[in-house]
Amino acid sequence: MMWFLAQEEAKPVLGIFSEGSIVDFAVVLLLGIFIWILVSRARSGKKIPDIKKIAGLEAVDEAVGRATEMGRPVSFIPGINSIDEPQTLAALGIISHVARQCARYDTRFLALTCDPLPYAVIEEITRQAYLEEGRPDAFNPDDVRFLSAEQFAFTGACIDVFERERPAANMMIGSFYAESLILAETGSFQGMIQIGGTANTHQLPFFVAACDYALIGEEIYAASAYLSKEPVMNGTVVGQDWLKLIIWLVIVAGTIVATVAPGNAFLAGLLSK
Amino acid sequence: MRKEGPMIVTVLSSLVVVFSQYFFLGQQWDLMTPLNNWFQLSYAIALALGFVNLSAIHWKYIQRKREGWFYSIVLLLCMYGYLILGMIEKHTGVHFSWIYDNMYVPLGSAIFSLVAFFITSAAYRAFRVRTKEATILLVLALFVMLGRAPIGDAIWSGWSSFVNTWVMGTLNMAGMRAILIGAYVGAFATALRIMLGLERAHIGGTGTQ
Repeated sequence: MMWFLAQEEAKPVLGIFSEGSIVDFAVVLLLGIFIWILVSRARSGKKIPDIKKIAGLEAVDEAVGRATEMGRPVSFIPGINSIDEPQTLAALGIISHVARQCARYDTRFLALTCDPLPYAVIEEITRQAYLEEGRPDAFNPDDVRFLSAEQFAFTGACIDVFERERPAANMMIGSFYAESLILAETGSFQGMIQIGGTANTHQLPFFVAACDYALIGEEIYAASAYLSKEPVMNGTVVGQDWLKLIIWLVIVAGTIVATVAPGNAFLAGLLSK
Repeated sequence: MRKEGPMIVTVLSSLVVVFSQYFFLGQQWDLMTPLNNWFQLSYAIALALGFVNLSAIHWKYIQRKREGWFYSIVLLLCMYGYLILGMIEKHTGVHFSWIYDNMYVPLGSAIFSLVAFFITSAAYRAFRVRTKEATILLVLALFVMLGRAPIGDAIWSGWSSFVNTWVMGTLNMAGMRAILIGAYVGAFATALRIMLGLERAHIGGTGTQ
């Protein structure tokens, strides 16, 4: 009975929102509006701002080209998390591009997965990529592999694939943890051209040190748009940049408030709504 | 319909998540619980697919007597043996837990321990003084290493405090948070692209519309 008395009944904020979610929703809404504006502009043929060159993504085609010249496979690891991880979803867009390139140049494409859901999706993406390039017969389902759902068993299995199949190019883009350096260094010892990318900040230094190219944080999310070279998709990346500009302005405002009036909690209170 | 069906499921699921996350009624109706249950169910089905894939690949290795085919036999025996043991004993079974704790865990730790050696080789390459940036990296790395080891404080009593508060807490933290903010915005944008149907790689499309 006491427990029930101690509970305060939850109430909606502004009639419809749950507590502490107004600003979060406003940010999503704002991003949605920015993307809608830029996508509409791109669809009506108007110019949208360019996005900067990303060396790691420019190198994707170069890596496939090198593997083609050497007659060796391209391997791709989309991190170790499941499909509910945004980084894994970002990696799927890149896989689609790489698989198409491999199908076009008749290069073997190896996808190594640690989670069964991305495995099932990647198999379908790769099959579709080969189909769209007019080479469905070249697709080998055994080249999309589920190795293990356990982190270090997966790492060991990847090392085994590196040793046996000897890929000429290795791409590791997605959510990585302690296995990042083991995989990147093994690839580096084997002389592979490597592109690493993650938004997990603690693993980024490892990719920067051990890979030829590193995609840092948000660059992996921009990858599928960047590689598609479509104005509509580029518009979504520019929308992202507009939101970052607003966040930057809030940070500057917060810094000024914290410096000029240290006790003022107005901005912090507003952001916690 | 092969593409439209998954697209409709994606959009509806996304709307349920948004509704449950931000709106009061969504939280009251607890729509996320059935959605999470469906996710677990999909995972179990996909795990069975992965199991079949692993079996098929290693069975082929054995049939073709590929180099190292003996290890494929070991893998299949372990995989099916452990599966059968798990079905008999359930996941709390004594033998099932013993095998995991005394075989898998030490093997996993052995692979994890390789990180220590790989850090050395990666650090050697990263810190080779070839460019201005590598020199700055090397100098800062020396500062951090001295700050984290007792010898730093023995040289100068404020060393660890300098490293922890300024180098790690100010320089490093500012950079990390900048990357994180960008990554979160990027994740939002990716989610919106998928919700709006602009990005279709997850349903076997070519990645874009």
